[in-house]
Amino acid sequence: MKDQLEALRLQIVKEIGGAETLEVLDELEIKYLGRKGELTSMLKGLANVSAEDRPVLGALANDVKQAGMELLEKRRAELASSKFEALADTERADMTEPGNRPPEGHLHLVTQAIREITTIFERIGFYRTRYPEVDWDWYAFESLNMPPEHPARDDWETFFMDAESSDKKKEGRMVLTPHTSNAQGHELERGEFPVRMLNIAKCYRRQSDATHAPMFHQFEGLYVDKGVNLTHLRGILDYFAEQFFGPGRVSRIRPHHFRFTEPSFEVDISCGVCGGTGKVNDVKCKLCKQGWLEIGGAGMVHPNVLIASGVDPKKYSGLAFGWGIERVAMMKEGTQLDDIRILYQNDIRFLKQF
Amino acid sequence: MNLLVSYDWLKEYVGLKQTPEEFGARISLSGPSVEKIFPQGVDLDGVYVGKITKISNHPQADKLKLVDVDLGSLKPPLGKGESKGESRIVCGGSNLYEGQIVAVAVSGAKVRWHGEGDLIELQPTEIRGEKSDGMICAASEIGLGEAFPVKDDHEILDLGKEIPEMNVKPGTTLAKALGLDGDVVMDIEVTSNRPDSMGMVGIAREAAAILDVPFTYKPSDLKVPFSKGGSKGGIKLKIEAKDACSRYIGTRIDGVKVGPSPWWLKRRLLSAGIRPINNLVDITNYVMYETGQPMHVFDVDKLKSSVSSDETSPLLKEINVRYARKGEKIMALDGKVYDLPDSVLVIADAEDPIAIAGVMGGEETGSTEETVNIILEAAAFDPVVVRKGSRKLLLQSDSQLRFEKGLSQIGPESAMARAIELVKELAGGEVVGAPVDVQTKKYKPESFSITTDEVNALIGVEISKKEMIDVLKRLGFKIKDSGKKLTAEVPWWRDHDIESGRDLVEEIARIYGYGKIEAVVPTAVAPRKSDDIIVWEDRIKDLLAGAGYTELYGYSFVSKDLLAKSGFDAKDLLHVQNPLTVELEVMRSSLIPQLLEAVANNQERADTLRLFECSNVYLRKAGKKGAWTDLPDENPQCVIGYIEHKNGSPWREAKGIVEYIFDTFDIKDVKWKRVSQDDIWHPGRGVQAYKDDKLLATVGEISPKYTEAFKIESRVGAVQLELRNVINFAKTHKSYTPPMPFPESKRDLAIVVGEDVEYRDIELVILKVNDLILNVEWFDTYQGKGVAEGKKSVAMHLTIGSREKTLTSQEIDGVLEEALLAAKEKFGAELR
Repeated sequence: MKDQLEALRLQIVKEIGGAETLEVLDELEIKYLGRKGELTSMLKGLANVSAEDRPVLGALANDVKQAGMELLEKRRAELASSKFEALADTERADMTEPGNRPPEGHLHLVTQAIREITTIFERIGFYRTRYPEVDWDWYAFESLNMPPEHPARDDWETFFMDAESSDKKKEGRMVLTPHTSNAQGHELERGEFPVRMLNIAKCYRRQSDATHAPMFHQFEGLYVDKGVNLTHLRGILDYFAEQFFGPGRVSRIRPHHFRFTEPSFEVDISCGVCGGTGKVNDVKCKLCKQGWLEIGGAGMVHPNVLIASGVDPKKYSGLAFGWGIERVAMMKEGTQLDDIRILYQNDIRFLKQF
Repeated sequence: MNLLVSYDWLKEYVGLKQTPEEFGARISLSGPSVEKIFPQGVDLDGVYVGKITKISNHPQADKLKLVDVDLGSLKPPLGKGESKGESRIVCGGSNLYEGQIVAVAVSGAKVRWHGEGDLIELQPTEIRGEKSDGMICAASEIGLGEAFPVKDDHEILDLGKEIPEMNVKPGTTLAKALGLDGDVVMDIEVTSNRPDSMGMVGIAREAAAILDVPFTYKPSDLKVPFSKGGSKGGIKLKIEAKDACSRYIGTRIDGVKVGPSPWWLKRRLLSAGIRPINNLVDITNYVMYETGQPMHVFDVDKLKSSVSSDETSPLLKEINVRYARKGEKIMALDGKVYDLPDSVLVIADAEDPIAIAGVMGGEETGSTEETVNIILEAAAFDPVVVRKGSRKLLLQSDSQLRFEKGLSQIGPESAMARAIELVKELAGGEVVGAPVDVQTKKYKPESFSITTDEVNALIGVEISKKEMIDVLKRLGFKIKDSGKKLTAEVPWWRDHDIESGRDLVEEIARIYGYGKIEAVVPTAVAPRKSDDIIVWEDRIKDLLAGAGYTELYGYSFVSKDLLAKSGFDAKDLLHVQNPLTVELEVMRSSLIPQLLEAVANNQERADTLRLFECSNVYLRKAGKKGAWTDLPDENPQCVIGYIEHKNGSPWREAKGIVEYIFDTFDIKDVKWKRVSQDDIWHPGRGVQAYKDDKLLATVGEISPKYTEAFKIESRVGAVQLELRNVINFAKTHKSYTPPMPFPESKRDLAIVVGEDVEYRDIELVILKVNDLILNVEWFDTYQGKGVAEGKKSVAMHLTIGSREKTLTSQEIDGVLEEALLAAKEKFGAELR
């Protein structure tokens, strides 16, 4: 029995030591060391051995098994590592070849800009609204303190619909709204205060050239409450400048003229290239006008606008601001589109770049 | 509207000590916006005043002369190197004479040869074997062609003759000699409500108020009363169109002498971008640029006399402000003939229109070199009438741009006085009688009140009453101070602009300085939620972009052709009454036509196109017919398109994306019905998803009838989502079903059924057979070899399992058997 065990040990050492693959090793484990393996069956023979020999032989058998297991693991580790090492040659790939990409979708540049602006204003308590694009003259003009003879109400500036005028006299003709300000009347009519409206929508003007598309997007902020004043407008504009354009950017307001605000302003953002100085290395900044970039209009809501919608200007005051989405998107990205109308031509070579 | 302002000129009216840059930066923050500043006379760098001392013939060329020029202390730039400052120049000028004062360009100066082409930098040169130290310039060669027109191209600029008052030494820079040295021109934007600032005086007044410096302008005063009558002073003046003209002042001056204006006047006009013509026209332009009040001059002798001319004044000329009469025409000063609609206001003599009121004078009655007797016009026309007339005629002018913004009826007084003063000074002549002045309405200045509390509440800072009053006074308001209330009388030059007390707040705030106002962000919790459609549209857009779809944006209006091409009838849709082009005429009722257009245009740019657009379409509100009397229903939709070359049934991808949307937003129990009528959809491949009888989506392929019309080479899988209905059921939170605790088994079942049997019906029947059937999943349909004619084989995976235990294979086989039996019973199915 002892000789048998020693012979088995030699055999195990030889075979396991010489095994060339992990699969062979697995078979050897079963053959010699498994539950039904040779060593086990030999151990079963211990029952027939004399009582004094039994502990010695038992210890030997265990020793063989132990040694076998250790060798097995050692060999297994050796084989495993050499197998993985070999992968460097057997499975080498040219990793400079491109990957397989998932289908790539693209949100339109305008959608992306709208999202960004929305997020900025939602953070300070503005909500998005949705009002008609095809609207009555009342909302587009009349209620905004724009008199009937205002040039914007001429046929060559604004699109009118081939439709009858409203049967409600004050509403007038049906127009394609030339600005998002038409939302002011709709929103104020609800009579819910405070108003913190952010209206982003399509607008239409009778103009089509490299810098004007006949359809474009604007956003309109309207904040009406008790005690709203110019400091709030300055605050909102500075906040937007920094959030949208980046740290250190500020706004300023200059006098301008709109019918529905008084005072009215042109809003400038400090130039990101020259840092608002108008000069880069003592040379005039190429991007801006003396350190500032125009982005849009703003103002304090004209009392006549509040009155037109049934709001008492003695009790409430408001501010409004807004500008073209396309324009600020271009300004931020520094994207110079040769012709802004490419935004609406649905050419995937353009769309896939955003 | 923009105005070019010479800083030097501006200083005539206001005490300015600032540099132009400081001026521009400060003014822009409180008033008109200074957009650009550029120096005057830079084109004249390297050009000097010289005096011709000797002229001799060029030995090699008949038409050229050798001219010695005294350039004073200026060292000869090239050539003989003598210190005396005499240079020799080869010149072909036709009007050279000894002693002549000329403009000499030296090496390095930039000139335009013969006034044409690009600027060229002058180099030392030799002409026909003779060295030339520079060039004696013609006016057009140094950008002064407009100031000094010539009759002969070979004439050089004769400074002594053109500007007799010029008194400088040879060697002086020409810029200095012309008074341009050190001056700048500012390009200033004036907002449409401030036509009073469309002149030097207006800008000066703003500057004085903003910078708090003295306003030194003194309006001209004739010191003779204007004649209120209608037919004195050699003019029979009447205003027939009283609604369109509040005032007309006509002044007849006889015996004027027309000629070129002196340099000082030309210089002013050139700085403002105006070409000098003759002294009379120049004076009217000068007065307009100074005061903002447009003027005109007529040649009296070209006007027709009044028919009923009265015997005591046989030369009486009629001036009538009236609307044009049917069939009338006029040749305007631009040389074009205009047909005059009867809404256009004109100035007429006894018979014909002689000017388009406020827009442009007539060519035939304007001043020429032969003019001797004139009528000067200064008037106030209605802004809307002028604007509409100008638009109708497609004719614009500096005058019209001012009138259409609303000018005061007081402005003509001082402008006329100034013009008369200048005519007498520069062209001589005598005023006949007195200026004739007719007003159709009485002018009364308006007054508005505000309280100091209102002002401070709106601005958000504390400004003292004293400061408020001070600002308003500087701007020309007359103030009545009664406690907290201030009443301000509007100065005449602002009478179209200041309309309420609120306007006074702006005046105070802008002069106070917007930059001094604190910035406070009014942060709060939004008082209500954003509109649902917007929020959900964004979620769907995100899902689609994440699934590889690219977003389109099309115009809301399309052409009738595009609609017709895709089978839509434009007739009943909402039209734009005044479209820009026929391409942008009809409000779209579907997003599909532009999707097809996008597919057609892009099909060669990619193998697979995944496209979508979410936008409103414009439909009739329910129950409306005939003419459009109500606003359209702006219906939010999303359209999705899938095109893959060689994929003959892209409807599957279209349907897949809809299923994905429904699953993502937990829209369950959708019923699918075949599209029955709409012919844009493939007649055999269109289906609609309904839930609770609400249409959620139409899915399938666009009918080849239309894709072929667009020359699209593959089939187009498409989806139209009805956003309102979709979001009605959509949820972002989902219900949860725990996973099966015991293993599930998948078995395949392939059955042969009649080809008209629909898969969804089989699926529903099998699902009902036994609760142990958890899911049925289609994976193949086959027709052809091995399947009888008129039949199809449908293969599906069945998921079978129980919440109670692990099923044995006998139990599973039993369930499968039941499924097959049910299919046999219901559809006559056979196992494949």
